[in-house]
Amino acid sequence: MKNRNAKYILLTSVLSAATLYSCTDLKEQVYSEVLASSYQPTEKDLPAIVAPVYSSLRSLMAGWQGYFDLQEEAADAIITPSRPNGWDDAGTYKRMHYHTWTSLQDQPANTWFSSFSSITTANRVISQIESGEIPITTGKENTIAELKAVRALAYYLLMDNHGNVPIVTDFKDISLPKQSTRKEVYDFIIKELNDAIPSLSENAATTYGQLNRWGAKALLAKIYLNAEVYTGTPQWAQAITQADEVIKSGKYVLDANYSDIFTWTNFNSKEIIFAIPYDEIYGVGNIIHMKTLDPLSRTVYPMNAGPWGGNCAVPQFIDTYDADDSRLADTWIMGPQKNATTGAVVITYGKAVPTMEKTASSDGYRIGKYKIKPNVTGSMDNDFPFLRYADVLMIKAEALLRTGKAEEAAAIVTEVRKRSFKNNPAKATVTGADLAKGSKYNYGYQAVDGSIIERQGGEDVKFGRFFDELGWEFAAEAHRRQDMIRFGVFGTKKWFNHRPQAAQRALFPIPQSELDKNTNLKQNPGY
Amino acid sequence: MNMNRLLSNLIQEIPRRLLLGLAMVCLLSDQLLAAEREISGKIVSTEDKNPLPGVTIIVKGNNSIGTATDTEGKFKLTVPDEATLILSYIGYISQEVVVGSQSELTIEMAPDQKQLSEVVVIGYGTQKKGDVTSSVASIKREDFIKGTVRDAAQLVQGKVAGLRITTPSGSPSSNTQINLRGINSINGNSDPLVLIDGIPGGLNTVAPEDIESVDVLKDGSAAAIYGTRATGGVILITTRKNRGTSRATVEYSNYVNIQTIARRPELFTGDDYRRKISEGIDYTDYGGNTDWLGEIMQKPVSHNHNLTFFGGNSTTNFTGSVNYRNWEGIFLRSGQNRFTGRADLNHAMFDNKLKTNIQIINRITSTNGAVSPADNDIAYGYIYRQAMIRNPTDRVRTETGAWQERDGYFYENPVSLINESNYDAKFKEMRMSGSLDYAPIEDLNFKLLVSNVQNSNLEGGSTTFNHTATRLSNQNGTAYRGTYANNENLLELTGNYAKSFGKHRFTLLGGYSWQDATYESFSASNWDFPTDAYDWNNLGAGGALQKGQAGMGSTKNKWQLAGFFGRLTYSLDEKYLFMASVRREGSSRFGINNQWGTFPAASVGWRISKERFMEGLTDVSEIKLRAGVGVTGTIANSPYLSQISYNFSRDQGAFIGGKWVPGFVPARNFNPDLRWEKKEEVNAGVDFGFVKNRISGSIDVYSRKVKDLLYDFPVPVPPYLTGSMFINAGTMKNEGLEVLLNLVPIQTANLQWNSGFTYSTNRNKLVSLSNDQFQASNDFFDAGYTGEPIQISTHRVKVGEPIGRFFVWKSVGVDEKGGWLVENKDGEVIPVAEAKPEDRQYYGNGIPKHNVGWNNSVRFKSFDLALNMRGAFGYDVLNFQSMFYNNPKNKAYNMLNTAYDPIDGKVLNNDLVYVSHYIENGNYWKIDNVTLGYTLPQNLIKGMKNARVFVSGLNLATITGYTGVDPEGMTMTGFFPGSDQRDKYPTTRTFTAGLSVTF
Repeated sequence: MKNRNAKYILLTSVLSAATLYSCTDLKEQVYSEVLASSYQPTEKDLPAIVAPVYSSLRSLMAGWQGYFDLQEEAADAIITPSRPNGWDDAGTYKRMHYHTWTSLQDQPANTWFSSFSSITTANRVISQIESGEIPITTGKENTIAELKAVRALAYYLLMDNHGNVPIVTDFKDISLPKQSTRKEVYDFIIKELNDAIPSLSENAATTYGQLNRWGAKALLAKIYLNAEVYTGTPQWAQAITQADEVIKSGKYVLDANYSDIFTWTNFNSKEIIFAIPYDEIYGVGNIIHMKTLDPLSRTVYPMNAGPWGGNCAVPQFIDTYDADDSRLADTWIMGPQKNATTGAVVITYGKAVPTMEKTASSDGYRIGKYKIKPNVTGSMDNDFPFLRYADVLMIKAEALLRTGKAEEAAAIVTEVRKRSFKNNPAKATVTGADLAKGSKYNYGYQAVDGSIIERQGGEDVKFGRFFDELGWEFAAEAHRRQDMIRFGVFGTKKWFNHRPQAAQRALFPIPQSELDKNTNLKQNPGY
Repeated sequence: MNMNRLLSNLIQEIPRRLLLGLAMVCLLSDQLLAAEREISGKIVSTEDKNPLPGVTIIVKGNNSIGTATDTEGKFKLTVPDEATLILSYIGYISQEVVVGSQSELTIEMAPDQKQLSEVVVIGYGTQKKGDVTSSVASIKREDFIKGTVRDAAQLVQGKVAGLRITTPSGSPSSNTQINLRGINSINGNSDPLVLIDGIPGGLNTVAPEDIESVDVLKDGSAAAIYGTRATGGVILITTRKNRGTSRATVEYSNYVNIQTIARRPELFTGDDYRRKISEGIDYTDYGGNTDWLGEIMQKPVSHNHNLTFFGGNSTTNFTGSVNYRNWEGIFLRSGQNRFTGRADLNHAMFDNKLKTNIQIINRITSTNGAVSPADNDIAYGYIYRQAMIRNPTDRVRTETGAWQERDGYFYENPVSLINESNYDAKFKEMRMSGSLDYAPIEDLNFKLLVSNVQNSNLEGGSTTFNHTATRLSNQNGTAYRGTYANNENLLELTGNYAKSFGKHRFTLLGGYSWQDATYESFSASNWDFPTDAYDWNNLGAGGALQKGQAGMGSTKNKWQLAGFFGRLTYSLDEKYLFMASVRREGSSRFGINNQWGTFPAASVGWRISKERFMEGLTDVSEIKLRAGVGVTGTIANSPYLSQISYNFSRDQGAFIGGKWVPGFVPARNFNPDLRWEKKEEVNAGVDFGFVKNRISGSIDVYSRKVKDLLYDFPVPVPPYLTGSMFINAGTMKNEGLEVLLNLVPIQTANLQWNSGFTYSTNRNKLVSLSNDQFQASNDFFDAGYTGEPIQISTHRVKVGEPIGRFFVWKSVGVDEKGGWLVENKDGEVIPVAEAKPEDRQYYGNGIPKHNVGWNNSVRFKSFDLALNMRGAFGYDVLNFQSMFYNNPKNKAYNMLNTAYDPIDGKVLNNDLVYVSHYIENGNYWKIDNVTLGYTLPQNLIKGMKNARVFVSGLNLATITGYTGVDPEGMTMTGFFPGSDQRDKYPTTRTFTAGLSVTF
C-alpha cells in the first residue's frame, strides 16, 4: 500500500515538475537589445538611424590620437615633445614629427578605423532603406543622398591620408574588399558627391552638424583644390566653380570676430558650413584642451578636469605671425596663466621649446583656439569647424592665384584678414604681388638653444605668402599637413627637429592590423 | 550515491558473516586449548576515533583463536602468553599487535586509503574504480592539501596529472586558476564545469573544509555525458555526508595565518636617489626617504573557522556545517570575509526504496577595502604601480597633513589612493536542492533532482574629496552603486538500471536535464557631493546628476540549456569493460539552426590482472588497459551572440535635425550561424597497482582536437560592421601525456609514508584559423598588450604554431650609447629605433611544457607531515616589472635598484621598449606547502575523540632563475599566457597555525 502511494507521489511530482518546464524550449529571450525581427523602425527613428554615420567623426577628429593629431603633428605648427610627466609614449609623437611612423602607428590607423566605421554604417543604412527594412517614404532620397555624401567625406579623408583604399558600397557583399588606387577613389568621391548634391538639403539653418548641399560643394571645392596631389591633374576651375556656388548661395558669411568661430557656443556661428558637433554631455570627445594644457592650467579657467599637458606650437611657426595679427592671441595660449580665484600665476607658457626629447612643462604656446568654457570637463562643448566660409573663400583665392588671377585672389585674402587686424586695419590689405612672395617661415633645424641651424628658409616656397595666410587662418584646424603637401613643403623642409623623409611619407601607411585582416590590401609604397 | 550505499552495505555484511563463522571456531578452540589468560580491548579508527565494530582478531600462528569486536568496538579474547594479535578490517590497514603483559588494550586502526578510494564519482553516479574505463582522477578528503586553502581546486593542487592549478594573484578575493590539458577554447568558456553534489556551482560554493572528495573527469569519454559544458573537464565536488554511524559527531577546526609578499621588488631608496644625484644623475630630491611599497602594505592576519555536525541514524541523518573565513590581503585595506553554511538532510523509507535528500547551501561573501577587486585586482594593481614608481625622496603627507601630491602623468600618491577610496560588496548565494530517489524494483531506480540557485551582489564604491579624482577633475567625491542577481534552475530526471547475471554485469542510465539562468544587473553613479559623509549611501545628493553627468545602466539576459543523455556500461567477468554514452544538448545561445548538438562517447577497458595467466603474479594487484573517445562542446560565453539586434546608444548619437539624438547601432556583427565548439578526444591509458597497491598509478595519453573554435575574430570594416566578429572558425589540437604514481614506501602501524608524483606534458597547435566564411585572411592574429607607454601587442597566435608564443624584437645586445640592438628580419643586427614591425619574431612560449607535482605525507605515531612540491618547466615569462622598471631612462619615475646594472657592459639608455631581453625562462620548482600536524592523546579532554594541531607554510620557497615576483603569479590561460603584468596584486607566502577537534 505504502509503496503504491509513494509511486503515485513520485509520478505526480515528476510529471508536474516536467510540465513546469517546457522541456526543450530554447528560444532566446532578448531583454536588453532591440531585436531586428521584432522592431519596426519608423520615420521618427530616422535621425537615430543616421546618427552613427556622423558620430564616428567625433572620435575621428578630436579624439585621442585622432585626425587632428595626424594632420597637425605631422606638420610644422604643432608638436608633442616629451614632457617631465611623460609624453614619450614609446616615441609615437616623435615619429609623427620625424615622419618615421610605421604601419603600427596609431594616429593613421585611428583615422582609418573611424572613416571606415562611417562608411560601413552608411552602406548598411542605405541598404536597409533601399530594401525597405527601414520603411521611409518622405525624404527617402534626401536621406540616401546625405548618407552617400557623408560616405564620400569619409572616403575623402581616406584618400587624402591613405590613398589606396578599398571602395565598398554594397553592404550585403561580405567578400574581402579589393584595394582601389587613389585615382579611383578620387573619381568615386567626385561622382558620389555630384550625384548626391541635387538631393541634399539647401537649408543651412536646419542642418547644422549634417552635410547639406553647401557642405558637399565646399568639400568638392576642397578636393578639386588638391586634385593635382591626388591625381596629377589640377582642377582649379572646378574648385572655383564649386566655391562660387557656395558663395552665391548667400547662406554663409564671415563671422565678425575670428574667435566667434571657435567658442563653446559656436553652433551660433554663421561662418561654419559643416561642423563636427561636440557636447560635454551628449557628444563627448573633444579633448584638444586636455592634450595641450599643462596640469597646472586646471585652476586657470577653472577646469573640472585635470589636463595632461602635451602638445604646443612650433616656435618657428609662431615667428611667422605679424605682431598685429589678432589670430596669434586667438589661436595660442601664451605667457602667464593666473589662478581664477587667487589671481596667482600658476604657469607661464613660453614660446621656446628646446627639443622633442626634453622640455619643461611650461615650454611652448598651447592651443587656445577652442575657447575654454569655465568649469569645462574632460570634453569640450566647442564644435569642430570642418568646413567654414573662410575655407571656401581661400580655396577660391588659391585657385585664382594659381590660375594667374593674383589680384582677385588678394582681394579675397584681404577680406578674410580684415577681422584679424582691427587694431591696424591697413595691414589687412594684401596685394597680388604679396601673395606671390615666398614664405616667412624660417625653415631649418632648430638647435636646443632655439637657433636655427641647417637653415632652408621659406623664400623658395611658391606662393609662400599665401601658404602663410593659410597657416595663420587655419592653424590648429587640422589643415596644415594637406596645405604643406600642396605647397611642396611637407617632404622637403626641415622644421624644429624634423628633417625631410622620403616623398612617400605624404601618404600614411595602411594600418598593419588591416593588412593582417585583409590580404587583398597592399601596403603603400615606401613602407 | 547508490553505488556508495551498496558498497557500504557490503562492507558491513562481510564482517557480520565472518564474525559468525569465527565465533563458532572460537567456541571449538576454547575447548581444545588451555586458555592462558583473558584480555579485553577496544579498537577505534585513527581517523575520527570512532569505535570499529566487526574487526577480526586472530592470534598469530594460531588461526583457531580469534574473535571480532562488538558494536562498540570492544572485544574479549583468551590468548596464550606472548601472543601477537592480527587485526583485520575491510577498508583499514591490517596490523599486528604484541599483547605483552597488557590485559586492557586500546588499538587504533588506520584506514587504508587505497581501499577507500575504490569508488569514484562519475557523471550521474558512481563507479567502482576497477570498472572505470576513462581518465578520471579521484582525490579523497584524507589526501587533500592541508592548511590555508583558497578554494576547492587548491585542495587537489598538484595531485591530478594534467590539471594545472595556479594562484595568479595574492588578493584575498581571488580564486585559483585551473587549466586541464592545455588551451582548448579561445573565447568560449574553458573553465571546467564544477558540480557540487551534481548541481552546477563554483570552486567557492562550499568551504574546502566541507568537501569529502574531488573527482575530475579529464578525458572526453568521461566528460561527454555533460556535453556542452565539459570541454574544460568536469570537477565533481562531493560534500561531506554522515557516514551512517549512529553517534552524533561534532567537528571544529580553525586556522590563523599571516602573509608576506612572495618576493619584494627592490627599488631605489631616497638615499640611493641622493647618491645618484651626487653622481650627476638628474633626479629630483625632495629630502625624504619613503618606502612607498611599505606604505601601502600591511601585515595581514587571517583566520578561518569551521564547525561540522553529523547526526541521525541509517534512515534519517543530518549533516550541517558553518564556515567563517576572514582573510586580509597584503595591501592595506584589502580583505574579504565569508560565511558559508550548509544543511544536508537524508531520509530513507519503505526499506530504502524511497530516499530523499534536501540540501541548502548559503554563502555570504563580504569584500571590503579601498577599491574593487574586479578585473583581476586592476585597481589595486594601479596603486601598486604608483608605489613602485613614486619618488622615494618624497613624503606621504605635507606639513599640514594633506597628501603630498605631485603633478605628473599617471603619477598619483599611492597612499592617498588607497586611503581616500572605499569599496564594499556583499555577495549572497542561496542554493536549495531536493532529490527523490525511488527504486520500484531491485536494480532499478529513478531519481528526480531539482535545484534553485539564487545569488545577488550589491556593491558600492566611493572616492573622497581628498582623492585624486577631486584633485584632478574637481569631482568633489564620487560614488557608485551596482547590483546584480542570478537565478538558476536545474531539473534532472534520471533512471538507472543495473543487472548482473552470470559473468555479465551491466548498467543503463537515461536522463533528461533542464537548466535555465537569468541574469539582471543595475548600476548608478554620481559625483560632486556636498560631503564625504554619504559614501554611496545617498547617491542622489551628488550634483553631477543635475548636470547630466551621472551614470546609470541596467541589463538582463537569460539562457536555457536542455539535454537528453544515456549511458551503458558492460562488464564481462570483471575483465572486459565497456562504456558508451551520448548526450544531445541544445542551448538558447545559438542560432535556431544550430541549437542542438550531439556528444557521443565510448570507452573500453581490459583488466589484464584478472586474467588467469596473471594469477601467479601475486605482486601485481592491478593492470588495466583502457581507451576511449568522446566529444564535448563549449558554449558561447555571452548572451545574444547569434541575434540580429540593435541598441540605441547615446555614445554613438549625433546632432541631427537640430538636436542630439541617440544612435541606432547594430549590437554586433550578425552571425545567426553561431554553433558549438566541438572537441573530439581520444584517450588511452593504463592503471596499475603492484605489491598490494603500494605502488599504483596510471599513465594516460590523449589527443584532443577542437573544431569550430568560437572566437571574436578581427574582421575588416567594411564589409563587416564592427572590427571583430564572433564566429566559428579554426581548429586547435592538444596532445599530451599524464603520469600519476602513488607510492607507499613505508606502511606500518606507527609510520606511514605516502608519496604521490604527477607529471604532465602538453603539445598545443593551432591547426587552422578559417572557415568557409572567413578564409582569405591572414593566418595569425596578435594578442596581449604592453600598456602605456610601450603600446604594442606581446603575443602572436599563428596557424601551425602553439598558442602562447611571444612576438617580439629579438634583442642581441646594447650598443655604445646604451640603445638596444635587435635582429631584423634578415638576421642583421640593427638599433631598435630602426626596427620595423616586420622585424619582430616568435620567441619562447608562455605555457609550460612540463608540469610536475610531488606530494608526500608522512605519519609517524601522532605526528603527520605533508610536503607538497610542484614545478613547471619549458616556458617563458614576459617580466613586465623588468621591462618597465629595470630601465634608467625616465628619471621621473622610480625604478628597480638594478636599473643601472650594465647589460653587455653598458648601462641602458633606451626608451622603454618591448624586446626579448625581458622574456625570461620561467622554470621553477616550488616547495609549496609544508604542514606539520600533531594529534593529541585521546581523552585529553573528556568526550573529545580527536584533536590535532598543525602549522603550515604555503608558497614557502621557489627555486627559479626568474627575476620577477613569482613565476607562477600570472595568468596561464588565454592567448597571452606568461605575461607577468606590471599592475597586479602580487602573490604571497603564507604561514598558518590551526587546530581541529572532534567530539
